[in-house]
Amino acid sequence: MSLVDESFELKELQVLEGHADRVWSVAWKPATGFDGVPAVLASCSGDKTVRVWEQSPSSGSFQCKAVLEETHTRTVRSCAWSPSGKLLATASFDATTAVWEHVGDDYECVSTLEGHENEVKSISWNASGSLLATCGRDKSVWIWEVLPGNEFECVSVLQGHTQDVKMVQWHPNMDILFSCSYDNTIKVWAEDGDDDWHCVQTLAEANNGHTSTVWALSFNATGDKMATCSDDLTLKIWGSDLLTIQSGNGSAPWKHICTLSGYHDRTIFSVHWSREGIIASGAADDAIRLFAEDGDG
Amino acid sequence: MAASSEPNSREDIFDSSLNLEETHLKEGYNEGYADGLVSGEEEGRQVGLKTGFEVGEELGFYRGCIDVWNSAIRVDSNCFSSRVVRSIKQMEELLNKYPISNPEDESVSDVMDSLRLKFRAICAILNVKLEYNGYPKSSDGGNIQF
Repeated sequence: MSLVDESFELKELQVLEGHADRVWSVAWKPATGFDGVPAVLASCSGDKTVRVWEQSPSSGSFQCKAVLEETHTRTVRSCAWSPSGKLLATASFDATTAVWEHVGDDYECVSTLEGHENEVKSISWNASGSLLATCGRDKSVWIWEVLPGNEFECVSVLQGHTQDVKMVQWHPNMDILFSCSYDNTIKVWAEDGDDDWHCVQTLAEANNGHTSTVWALSFNATGDKMATCSDDLTLKIWGSDLLTIQSGNGSAPWKHICTLSGYHDRTIFSVHWSREGIIASGAADDAIRLFAEDGDG
Repeated sequence: MAASSEPNSREDIFDSSLNLEETHLKEGYNEGYADGLVSGEEEGRQVGLKTGFEVGEELGFYRGCIDVWNSAIRVDSNCFSSRVVRSIKQMEELLNKYPISNPEDESVSDVMDSLRLKFRAICAILNVKLEYNGYPKSSDGGNIQF
């Protein structure tokens, strides 16, 4: 099936209301939404709360099952479920990251990670759920290790970006961390054994990179390609040699493959590469666009 | 004879008044240069004292923290996780590496940056808020204030 030949249409299913301020980010809970397990979604907002929504098996509509409040004292900027779905991490402008666990019918805050000097912008769990990365306006990226008993220990504080770091994302199968920033670059961080993390590659303007703030990045299912979006109105596709990444020795440098421009005429804030290979982008021009790769790449 | 000496003395007068401007300029320059040397050296000494004090205070603060932590480890070797113990040791190595006697060593800012990072990471694990007035924040662009 060639995705390009099919005609896709986005159909609005439901509008979820409940938050009292803008909703910054949403995250689907892993292992839900198929095989009889109702889909679960978390949303976080400027109203300082996080809401968890569940789809009713009978009516198909989503209802708010829980409101996580009275923990963050400022906007909750982003949320991410751990790969097992047991924990939900929320990043806030109050400089903390809270970790919640589903206990009975409600969610309990089991840990608060402090360390960032100011607004935390993004969080990401690695593929195994053993590491959590956070980043923020203080230009640093923090890596935390998940220990038994919901304890978190700071593994490393990474400096390198010269401006606000907008998003962090772990590679889908390797423990390699990617971050993108207001300084127009994307950085790749790897461990050199024993908590020694450092930047192994920077994708900047000179490498065919973005010429303005990079807001988000997303990997394809196999982890050998990455999509990034930016305030410079373009989406860029990057690739790396899969075998080299997996062998773990030596760096697997990322190279620019192509740039998608002319599709949005305002800042592109968000990009996501679905498992089936569709890239979705959302921009300030109020449009969501879907892209698919044609035979020639 | 008297007539021919007059143009010469007239030229001399003009010459010396032209020279006067040049002489004054030169004199002024030399005076300014000499004054500048003195005040510049004085200012340099002040800046050096201030920077040296700031650096010394920050390094001393880290030295103190490390000493307290090491004492705690000596009393009870299991009080901290192995990761913390390792980080404290790394921080101590960095502190010893700081070129106190050679301010023109290029690595001073790198070592100081690494020290600050390690300190922040250790504080985060130990869950302590250790700060002192001069502690610079990366978000402020490095304004050290007393």
